[in-house]
Amino acid sequence: MTNRIKVERAILDLTQDDLAKKIGVSRQTINSIEANRYVPSTVLALKLSAVFQKPVNDFFELIEDD
Amino acid sequence: MNKESFIECERKRLNKIVSFRLPHSFMKIGIAIAAISIVAMFGRAFFMEGDTEWLKELAKKGLLIGMLIMSVSKDKEEDEMTNNLRMQSYTIAFVIGVVYALVMPYVDYGVSNVMKPEAETLKDLGDFQVLLFMLMIQLMFYHTLKRNR
Repeated sequence: MTNRIKVERAILDLTQDDLAKKIGVSRQTINSIEANRYVPSTVLALKLSAVFQKPVNDFFELIEDD
Repeated sequence: MNKESFIECERKRLNKIVSFRLPHSFMKIGIAIAAISIVAMFGRAFFMEGDTEWLKELAKKGLLIGMLIMSVSKDKEEDEMTNNLRMQSYTIAFVIGVVYALVMPYVDYGVSNVMKPEAETLKDLGDFQVLLFMLMIQLMFYHTLKRNR
């Protein structure tokens, strides 16, 4: 799975720490999600969707291996 | 109580047990108990004489309790990723612990026979040794996984 969280975060001018505080996780978790090292739960994905005000599919995308 | 509500009740209870964690402040308490126990073990070994078997047993229990408290204490920033890493570390610790308990008696037996000419009997590991090893592996893997996340 790939994601565009870094881009969406830049659009809203949020740091990793700001985004982490908004959805109640640590900054390292945001960093891991952005680097595709961690796939977040549906709950976290929906929290991100609420922050970015976009559907989850707009910033998470399946790749061939998934 | 019908079947569905009984299953639901059981599921909730299981979830509560699985997600049980102590507050972060307990981490320091766990470290203190473990440290005191280690100091007591060294103190007993090098500075005390006479019948101090009770202190050895107390220090062993203290070390296990301290490490268990450290293991189940929440992080400063606990989230779903740290939960995930914690579960991975428990899985690894369990598997390695079982392998250790199976293999280590033969390693001990082999080494003791090489070192001493008189043959020693094959002895199983004690519960303290296995539990201590599993807790050490869990804590080590958890912190390594967290560092590399």
